[in-house]
Amino acid sequence: MKLAILSESPADEAALRVLVEAVLRGPVRLVRPGLRARGWPNVSQVMPAILRHLHFNTDADGLVVVVDADDSVVHTPHHDRPDYFHPQCRMCKLRAVYRQTMKKLPPAHGRERALRAIGIAVPAIEAWYLCGRDPTVSEQAWIEGQQKGVPPYTRAELKKRVYDTERPSLEHETRRAMQEALRHRHDCRRLEYDFPSFAALAQDLRGWKAAQPGSGAAASRAGRPEPASSPVPAPPPACVGAAAPSAANGDLPPVKA
Amino acid sequence: MIASIHFRHFKALRATSLHLTAFNLVIGPNGSGKSSLIQAIQRLRFLSQQPLDTELQPSLSPELQHPELVFRFPPPNEGIEVKLSCRAGMVCDHLHVSAISSDNWEVLKQSLVTSRVYMFDHYAMAAPCTGAVEEGLAANGGNLAAVYHVIKRFDPGAFADLQAEVVRLLPEFSGLDVRENSEGLLELGLILREDREFIPAEGLSQGVLYMLGYVALAFDPRPPSVVCIEDLDRGIHPRKLRELCDLLYRLSYPEQYGLHRPPTQVIATTHSPYLLDQFRDHPEEVVIAEKQGRAATFSRLVDRPDLKELLQEGSLGDMWYSGILGGVPEESDPAAEAVTKNPLQP
Ligand SMILES: [Zn+2]
Repeated sequence: MKLAILSESPADEAALRVLVEAVLRGPVRLVRPGLRARGWPNVSQVMPAILRHLHFNTDADGLVVVVDADDSVVHTPHHDRPDYFHPQCRMCKLRAVYRQTMKKLPPAHGRERALRAIGIAVPAIEAWYLCGRDPTVSEQAWIEGQQKGVPPYTRAELKKRVYDTERPSLEHETRRAMQEALRHRHDCRRLEYDFPSFAALAQDLRGWKAAQPGSGAAASRAGRPEPASSPVPAPPPACVGAAAPSAANGDLPPVKA
Repeated sequence: MIASIHFRHFKALRATSLHLTAFNLVIGPNGSGKSSLIQAIQRLRFLSQQPLDTELQPSLSPELQHPELVFRFPPPNEGIEVKLSCRAGMVCDHLHVSAISSDNWEVLKQSLVTSRVYMFDHYAMAAPCTGAVEEGLAANGGNLAAVYHVIKRFDPGAFADLQAEVVRLLPEFSGLDVRENSEGLLELGLILREDREFIPAEGLSQGVLYMLGYVALAFDPRPPSVVCIEDLDRGIHPRKLRELCDLLYRLSYPEQYGLHRPPTQVIATTHSPYLLDQFRDHPEEVVIAEKQGRAATFSRLVDRPDLKELLQEGSLGDMWYSGILGGVPEESDPAAEAVTKNPLQP
């Protein structure tokens, strides 16, 4: 499988590749050069051009996009209701950008469209790196903190916990990101359970695999429906901390897409 | 290290103060005092090495706005205040030290003499050079080959670290070497990974040479006390700016890189929004130079009360370009001019 990863740094890209391969249970090839965005909202601004490029100029099967949630609204199953999207949710926003971009494009390279897998790291990718290592860090802990108005940790604290310095070099950041991603290489269930916005990414990816020719799961990749999102995977063995994710942030006013 | 500078009538810096940290990125339009800040530090370096003037400062005509600079320093030199002023005329040529003990000033002087201002010139960097490195890397990088040569000859361990860093930053190359040419001059070059061909500095790009200059600086076992760099991003690809920042952080925060040496204070200027993007997690290191008419002032980004909210909205570079952070060029107002010339008739 050939895919493109849109990320903020080479460190993120390296770790995401490991996680993507872990979910797909096999090696992937990457579109080169690697794709970069300058954080939010730049990711959503460059995504249409990137999708068009991948669709017409490459044979990539799909695009993997991961952005930090920062203080934005966390995606919940409430947002998955038909024709809804939450204006302050980055997952909803990126899915809408994908939908709007791809519906205008004719088939190319023998495929209806390049697929997409979107993950939102809540509140930052360093939280994923701490999964299974620091039981206080989970998407649920973050959502509860948002509700109380007292975040359980800051981005800066997460970075300090992962890198052990406030100013990691890119080299150090990459090394640490890889070390932590490799912990999940043989079993992503914990990461999926503690971080439903990672589980959504994993589900998108598994949908790609199912859509591969000869997979038996899909007769045709063309016109494949949008994958469902925010699944709640079964808890992994010896899971620490977080209760099953709830629709905590779904109370904010949803908007018709 | 310098803790703060107060400027009075120093070029466009009519009346402003600037608190400095270990690393400082100064953004602002042309003529907003970025270069004047660096010139003030050069002036301090020069006058600090002259014999102390025991005469009291002559009383100057109050009508003339004579320039004046006041420097303060972090611990253990917080008791020292250095004032640069004018004997006559409009050039700071008089240094007055208020110090609790003169011993402290002597130590501080030794540190100030190692401060450096860099403005790399890739033609000078590429040219073969003699072996002179008495004052470390030259301001234009013109003795780059000699700097690498000395490390290679006298500190093979440090040279191996340097090589590893160069190869990591420039993966198309597998090594770095310094060779003596037929005229006995030193020639720096990189070895291509593909076919191990030696590419002399004259065949390397501007950005690669600048990177080699910054690596030499960052890996200098005895770096300057203060390093000023104008247009830090010049010649460097936006995707390499993160690693450029890492190199300079190695100077400013040596303990975070496992190095046991005093930090080097870095003061760098830029016009690149991409470079500013790198400081999202450390806005306290960003200084905004603002120009209004002929007067310029400094402020620190971290002093903005709405900074937290701004950081949620997008990249610092985009916000700077938009104008909401300040530090952008003034523009003419053709609509206002036209309206003044053609007032609305009642
Ligand atoms: Zn959502």
